[in-house]
Amino acid sequence: MSPQAKKQENKILILATETCAYPGADSVGQAHSTYPANTYILRVRAPVLFPESFYFDCFKKGISGIIVMSCGEECPYEGAFTAMAKRLDGVYKKMKAMELDLKRLRLTAICTVCNRSFLNEVNQMDKLVRELGPPIFKK
Amino acid sequence: MTEKNTDNKKVGVYICYCGGNISDHVDVEEVKKRAEKMPNVVVARTNMFMCSDPGQELIINDLKSGKIDRVVVASCAPSLHEATFRDAIKRAGSNPFIYEHANIREQVSWVHHGEPATDKATILIASAAAKANLLTPLDPIRVEAKKHTTVIGGGIAGIKTAIDIAQTGINVALIEKSSLLGGQLNNLDKLAPSGEKASEVLQELLDQILTHKSITIHTDCEIEAVQGYVGNFSLSISKKSDNKIEKLNIETGAIVMATGAIPYIPFDGEFGFGQHEQVITLQNLIQILKNNKSTGSILEVNGKRIRNIVMIHCVGSRQIPGIHQPKEDGKLNEYCSRTCCAAMLNASNQIKENFPATRIYEMYRDIRTYGRGQEELYTQASANKVVFMRYEANAQPEVSLTRDSDYPFQVKVKDSLTFNEEMDVPADLVVLATGIEPDDVSGLASMMKLPIGTDKFLLEVHPKLRPVEFPITGIFLAGTCQAPMDVGEACNAAGAAAVKASALLRKGFIELDPFVAEVNPNKCQGHGACIEACLKEGALTLVEVDIDGKTVKRAQVTAAMCLGCGACAAVCPEKAIDINGWALKQYEDMVDAIVSDGFAV
Amino acid sequence: MVSTHIKKFDTLVVGGGIAGLQTALDLGDQGYKVAIVEKDASIGGKMIRLSKVFPTLDCASCITTPKMSAAAHHKNIPLFTYCNLTSLDHDTSNEALGVKAVIIQNPRYVDPDKCIGCRQCEYVCPIYVSDEEQGGLSATKAISIPFSNAIPQLPIMDIENCMLCGQCEKVCPTNAIDYFQKPEEFIIQAKTAIITTGFELLPKEDNFQYGSGKIPNVVDSLQMERLLAPHGPYNRVLRPSDGMEPDSIAYVQCAGSRDKSMGVPYCSRVCCMYAIKQAMLLSGSLPLADITIYYMDIRAFGKGYEQFYQNAKAMGIEFIKGKVARIDAGENGSAIVRYENQDGSGIVTANHDLVVLSMGMIPGWNPAPICPVSKDSDHFITSIKPKISPVLTNMNDFFVAGAAAGPKDIVDTVTESGSAAMEAAKFMSNSIMEN
Ligand SMILES: Cc1cc2nc3c(=O)[nH]c(=O)nc-3n(C[C@H](O)[C@H](O)[C@H](O)COP(=O)(O)OP(=O)(O)OC[C@H]3O[C@@H](n4cnc5c(N)ncnc54)[C@H](O)[C@@H]3O)c2cc1C
Ligand SMILES: Cc1cc2nc3c(=O)[nH]c(=O)nc-3n(C[C@H](O)[C@H](O)[C@H](O)COP(=O)(O)OP(=O)(O)OC[C@H]3O[C@@H](n4cnc5c(N)ncnc54)[C@H](O)[C@@H]3O)c2cc1C
Ligand code: SF4
Ligand code: SF4
Ligand code: SF4
Ligand code: SF4
Repeated sequence: MSPQAKKQENKILILATETCAYPGADSVGQAHSTYPANTYILRVRAPVLFPESFYFDCFKKGISGIIVMSCGEECPYEGAFTAMAKRLDGVYKKMKAMELDLKRLRLTAICTVCNRSFLNEVNQMDKLVRELGPPIFKK
Repeated sequence: MTEKNTDNKKVGVYICYCGGNISDHVDVEEVKKRAEKMPNVVVARTNMFMCSDPGQELIINDLKSGKIDRVVVASCAPSLHEATFRDAIKRAGSNPFIYEHANIREQVSWVHHGEPATDKATILIASAAAKANLLTPLDPIRVEAKKHTTVIGGGIAGIKTAIDIAQTGINVALIEKSSLLGGQLNNLDKLAPSGEKASEVLQELLDQILTHKSITIHTDCEIEAVQGYVGNFSLSISKKSDNKIEKLNIETGAIVMATGAIPYIPFDGEFGFGQHEQVITLQNLIQILKNNKSTGSILEVNGKRIRNIVMIHCVGSRQIPGIHQPKEDGKLNEYCSRTCCAAMLNASNQIKENFPATRIYEMYRDIRTYGRGQEELYTQASANKVVFMRYEANAQPEVSLTRDSDYPFQVKVKDSLTFNEEMDVPADLVVLATGIEPDDVSGLASMMKLPIGTDKFLLEVHPKLRPVEFPITGIFLAGTCQAPMDVGEACNAAGAAAVKASALLRKGFIELDPFVAEVNPNKCQGHGACIEACLKEGALTLVEVDIDGKTVKRAQVTAAMCLGCGACAAVCPEKAIDINGWALKQYEDMVDAIVSDGFAV
Repeated sequence: MVSTHIKKFDTLVVGGGIAGLQTALDLGDQGYKVAIVEKDASIGGKMIRLSKVFPTLDCASCITTPKMSAAAHHKNIPLFTYCNLTSLDHDTSNEALGVKAVIIQNPRYVDPDKCIGCRQCEYVCPIYVSDEEQGGLSATKAISIPFSNAIPQLPIMDIENCMLCGQCEKVCPTNAIDYFQKPEEFIIQAKTAIITTGFELLPKEDNFQYGSGKIPNVVDSLQMERLLAPHGPYNRVLRPSDGMEPDSIAYVQCAGSRDKSMGVPYCSRVCCMYAIKQAMLLSGSLPLADITIYYMDIRAFGKGYEQFYQNAKAMGIEFIKGKVARIDAGENGSAIVRYENQDGSGIVTANHDLVVLSMGMIPGWNPAPICPVSKDSDHFITSIKPKISPVLTNMNDFFVAGAAAGPKDIVDTVTESGSAAMEAAKFMSNSIMEN
């Protein structure tokens, strides 16, 4: 094993809700399935916390893809899912204006045992970011 | 090492081998070496089993000696041992919220292998350490709570709720709008399925409630305003007594809605109702049977001998858009009223058993004798020779007056039990199995911001997880204000609501999660964007404060109401509001740690 | 089994299904100490084994696991899983002590204090056995954690099938394997007991009209729940006999219910709704399949249930009024359903690729002879006050909730469990006041 980590390209950030998607990711682990290691799962209470700028800052910092894994309509914070989905619409509009591929940002609902959906989402995003490479911001 | 610690926290990182589960795929010692170089990390240690006592001791010793003041454990999923490690921190005399978890088993060693696993574990630890650096000690939010509950509605559900809560040492006020307790039970007689007398069932509870020292009953009362939040609600009530109106105020810790439901009244002409006095509702029939003194082999109603009764099920229930005619307000009752099938069969059996010469035809869509003892009513009705005829929703029975027959009515029905043949059934009496409708509590609901469902009944948070709770902490619901229920089910709901209310208030204060929004008074400019974004009315308000002699507006959080979702943090242009324990700023630093490969390169 | 420890609690909850968990949580939150005794290796009952649940169609695991872990982490609620109750009664030696239960902890052959739930043993074990947690439709190892979200995360060794190869013992990082573990007896004393022992399905093997469980693709509804679960035996809906995707699926309602000669006389209350639910889920995963429900009455009585039923009809699920009299094996793994059409047109037969039996529900536990609590004619625990408080039994310190008091869906189970906790709390506060 090399003593030093190599610089990793094409990182994917996953915002996973603590009640649904995060335990869902654990369930994939319990099943010992594998998926690409360029994925970083952050446990969140409700993704409505993140402003539009958060997503662009991530892209600017070099994150290649973001998956918001929510509870969907089953979100325990009433109204939060709708508010967050609306925010992402705004993000998509700006991404379009910036000529960022919209597929770099995905919103999906993952449940506590949705192993296959989880793997699908992650693999698809991985494929995409490998094709697209890191985001480039045209002024 | 010195310069990286100016006004920063001293993070300790503890990495678990999990007896090979982690270390077979992650080079734990290498991760430790890298962690030692991370900003703010003052010590990194490894252990075969962090969750074991020796593992926990490592953390406790470092905290106690003052070496560290923030903790990161890298091990299995937080669902397993986050609580274990927070407890260990408490045992060391520190605040449990200075802890962050790195999930390097379920989300690393079990899904990735070799070098990428080691690198990813490093990065997750770096990001956890970045978050730990921003964590602050937190205390549960303590809200003083009045050991008092107000139950609104004095039907059986409200009465049962009040008795149950009072029994655990909490004072109760029961508010009833009419002058009588008991609600619908006052209109019923022998209850389905096993025939208890409604009056006796009610009396048993009335005996308990009327003598209970800690329950105050307020009849003829209307609630005019509700203010406050969990533990500290205040109700303004007006009470009618001898032509004058008295005002009273109740300070209360929790509220239970038990406002019940009302029987469906058919519209004029619905199956001839309102036009012929021999077309009656199930409620009417129950009254008739209750007061009936006639003997003999045939039922008499208003002096008329009733040879044939046609009973039509699902009147005012199970209505289908496009098929059924809505009432004037455009409303359709799409739900099943749940109690009418059993109540109808119960009445049929009473009639057949007392007046065997009276013939009964039940026209139904589905017989819903689902509950314990109910199917027996159905079997018994068949044995009693009640005739069952089945109609489809789109081919309702038609009631018409006859001219030359010996019977006043004729009911036309297409019976799907016999080749969908159209039949005319002569009748002396038509009984409509009218269901129930929610009472209009929209006024109360809007005062307390309670959700109402599309069926117009009050809507719980979640039918399985939190069936007797509203999204407003401290407000509960019980009985038929939620949905049709029979008496036993309404009393169960009452018990469930009571247990929640007494668990909430029993200590006289309530401890809530500290994960709520907090405003930074130095940054807030009073824009109010957060208030607009807030999902919970009342959790955030703009208040006027004095700063250097000037009156300015500032956002203020009512912690007891805040959901901690963070909708506010996302919109503040000054970044002046954030969520304790789950702050946006923490996530930004975590992303920085991730993109810089855990500072390990 | 010489020395028997005595453990003292306020309340003993027998059965760790959703009813037991909810009632324990409601008491634990009031400050009472509650022991949950569960016969299975994990808490969660039937609910944790379901796919999605009506009427909201949320994932069963997602709404059961929070309750399971809340109970497991609750400081007032210790769990005793994989235990046999051998006696449950008033403490005859001293009435004032209340309830006394004698319990045997079955050996897992794994030391629960050492095991960290890593499943290394499971991976190395060379022996495959039928996985009852997946309705017997797939295999698991002779030592295994019962299912992925089980609580506690402890494996059980199937000593009958174990060949003592020693591989698990070698691999276990904590030396937790113990081939010589013995059953251990202990006693629980409590002020009150709550019976939440739930239900079982009538075994399809007992029903000769429906093929005595021998016709290949005739499954019961709980097996169908596993087929539909995202973490089920095949990860999708396939016919067990040959792995074919079924094109035509039939539901047989009241299979063993509402008919004494076929099983039980009462209505099992939840099968109409779960059949509709499963049909809806099936039409999602197999959009081209034809789904038929044979029924007598659809009992969609609960909040939102009728609307759920009407949605299913609108989705194209076929509802046929008719009582299925017989099922026979057909060609190529199909099954022939013979039913009496309720419109009076007589006996009709139909061929289906897969048939699901909505089997009736019977009590999960028979108190006799170890516990004197009384049973009703339906064999479920008697409610002495079905109107004022359905959770009261003939013993004043024993309460009942959930399917143990008659078939019941989750919504009604959860509220009834709160109600049982309330009655137990009332009983205990009364006895404090009297003392
Ligand atoms: C025709 C019919 C037959 C039935 N037969 C049976 C049967 O055989 N067996 C059985 O078990 N069940 C039967 N039921 C069901 C039974 O009536 C209900 O389960 C029971 O009455 C529900 O009680 P509750 O307390 O929820 O509501 P209710 O009895 O409706 O009581 C609600 C109370 O709240 C009061 N209230 C309403 N709004 C306010 C307000 N804003 N402020 C203050 N007070 C307010 C009302 O005045 C009323 O007193 C039948 C129902 C009907 C309609
Ligand atoms: C196929 C199917 C699908 C369903 N789908 C739905 C649905 O979608 N929505 C819905 O609301 N409901 C559904 N239900 C109903 C649901 O399963 C029940 O409402 C619920 O499981 C009842 O919970 P319980 O805790 O009372 O009983 P159970 O879940 O049966 O739990 C009882 C527990 O007690 C334990 N136990 C039994 N005897 C003993 C003993 N002697 N000692 C110790 N422990 C013991 C058992 O092992 C078990 O863990 C479905 C049922 C079936 C059969
Ligand atoms: S803390 Fe978790 S990862 Fe470490 S030994 Fe315990 S179970 Fe294994
Ligand atoms: S209980 Fe029976 S009569 Fe009443 S609405 Fe439901 S199906 Fe119709
Ligand atoms: S290998 Fe040992 S520690 Fe791991 S699950 Fe098996 S018994 Fe437990
Ligand atoms: S719920 Fe439906 S399928 Fe089940 S026994 Fe009752 S009527 Fe039959």
